[in-house]
Amino acid sequence: MHDIIRLVWFDLKHELRPPVWIIMEWITFTIQLGIYGALISQLVTGISNYQQFYAIGFIVMMTFGIGSHTGRHFVEHAHEGRLPYLLSLPISRSKLFLSMALQGGIELALMISVPLAITLALIGNFTFLSVVGAIITLFVLGFGVAGLMLGLSFIAFKSADIYTAITVGLSSIIIRFSTVLYPLMFLPPSYAPVALLSPLTYGADLVRLLLGFDPSILLDPIYAVAVLTALAVSTLGLGMLLLQRLVEGVKSA
Amino acid sequence: MYAVETQNLIKRYGKTHALKGLDFTVNPKEIMVLLGPNGSGKTTLLLILATILKPTSGTAKVMGLDVAKQPTKIRQILGISFQEARGFWRHKPAEILHFHAAICGVPKSERGAKIEEIMKGLELWEARNKLFMHLSGGQTKRLEVSKLLIQRPRFAIFDEPSSQVDLRGKRKIWGEIHKLRDEGSTILVATNEVREAEYLADKVTVLDQGKSVVCDTVRNLKDKIAGGDVVELLLEPGPNNTEELREELSMIEGTVNLVVAGENQYRAHVSMAEAWVPKMTSLCYERKARLLSVRVTEPSLDDVFLHFTGKVLETTTNA
Ligand SMILES: Nc1ncnc2c1ncn2[C@@H]1O[C@H](COP(=O)(O)OP(=O)(O)O)[C@@H](O)[C@H]1O
Ligand SMILES: [Mg+2]
Repeated sequence: MHDIIRLVWFDLKHELRPPVWIIMEWITFTIQLGIYGALISQLVTGISNYQQFYAIGFIVMMTFGIGSHTGRHFVEHAHEGRLPYLLSLPISRSKLFLSMALQGGIELALMISVPLAITLALIGNFTFLSVVGAIITLFVLGFGVAGLMLGLSFIAFKSADIYTAITVGLSSIIIRFSTVLYPLMFLPPSYAPVALLSPLTYGADLVRLLLGFDPSILLDPIYAVAVLTALAVSTLGLGMLLLQRLVEGVKSA
Repeated sequence: MYAVETQNLIKRYGKTHALKGLDFTVNPKEIMVLLGPNGSGKTTLLLILATILKPTSGTAKVMGLDVAKQPTKIRQILGISFQEARGFWRHKPAEILHFHAAICGVPKSERGAKIEEIMKGLELWEARNKLFMHLSGGQTKRLEVSKLLIQRPRFAIFDEPSSQVDLRGKRKIWGEIHKLRDEGSTILVATNEVREAEYLADKVTVLDQGKSVVCDTVRNLKDKIAGGDVVELLLEPGPNNTEELREELSMIEGTVNLVVAGENQYRAHVSMAEAWVPKMTSLCYERKARLLSVRVTEPSLDDVFLHFTGKVLETTTNA
């Protein structure tokens, strides 16, 4: 356990000293919610509490950001030659993998702590269990998104540039075509099926359901749980596969 | 028991055959140098022993432990200094070494003093708080080597430990590697520099195209070469110093081969210098070519490499 903490901290301390980017994200969240969210919620008539709906969507986007950052980080390690060093240390592969996941988890926890607190204060009416459920959902989503980035490295492993281009491009599509900002039923019929392909749709709707939104505008939670679980499990598999290819000497982006 | 033992070790990267059935052993507590040109498979072998790379087939054991079956156990007794140190752009040397020492189990009470001693010894102390990305090539190499000198593993692997380092630095690094051996560690060094090999090796394995060509002590390798002596000649420039003379020199009885080593300079591999030199001087006297100097030396590892592989080892004489 000591080793895992050491590994996590070795890298994390450089991200957190100083923690400017996290604080900037908090400020962005507050401003977006306070101005844009408040204004737009007066225009949106279909949802009674659009500001809160929007707040959760924003947190889901942050989760996506951290998840994809963590996944890309892992791939870049492999590319830059840091992973061979880590692989040479007297720790098991599973501990190494765990330390990378843990680092992403800690970054996610820090990032969403303040926004989530503000959102909960806004909603006001929630139970302890529903909050725990929402947090778990966000972590599973983040982990799954990291896996998505690992998966992409197999498609684009020839070049780091192609990899970056694809992940950036795909990220914006995944966010736009999802229920992060509006419910599925409000989407134009031609977009709705595409939104069902975005993992954010499942994460956002499940969190909203847990925090007491009207189920009639949300996806069936059974699907959401199933999709998110499948995504997280495939992350584990892809992470191991990437390590495996590395020890076989296959260069990946 | 051997410290390292490989049997019919094969590694392919797609179509590239990096190791082609390597049989290789290292005795405990000795420095084994792998000498071979770029691309001969040195790094591949080292990475397999460090359990970072999987062999395609064959077996490799470190201290009796199989790389495929007990990789974590092997990593607990082994340390590797990579050919290229990369990937810690935002870290500082002191911080990297503290992390390495801690994760490799150097007791907390000893870390600070050890790190200071090694960093000062390798002239890194001044740069201890620079960012890794601002270090020079030579400094990153010293840092990479320092990791093992602090860790002091039972089995230490150095991949080109002094490339890009100046001569003074090379001497320091070599001295430190000797010290580590004297404390009882087994050491494996890969290099393409003859001087490094001569300085460090208890034994040398010559590697060429993924195969071990020969393995022995430096002394025995040199004795094994037919034409055990090397004579270097420097002639006065002049009309009598001609191509015909060169041919006549190479016809002298006992000449194994004779190559032009520079302007008016020849390097001859001969079987017995005592017999060859008088014949050579009288030939030069007859042909009225004046000898400026004659030097009898023993063959270098360059000659050994040439002899066993038929190829010239391209060395980087950057120091
Ligand atoms: N990851 C890799 N992918 C493909 N080919 C590789 C890889 N690593 C090394 N090679 C090839 O394998 C051969 C041996 O390389 P290497 O072990 O690095 O030799 P050395 O360390 O002696 O220079 C070379 O032909 C090299 O190009
Ligand atoms: Mg090499």
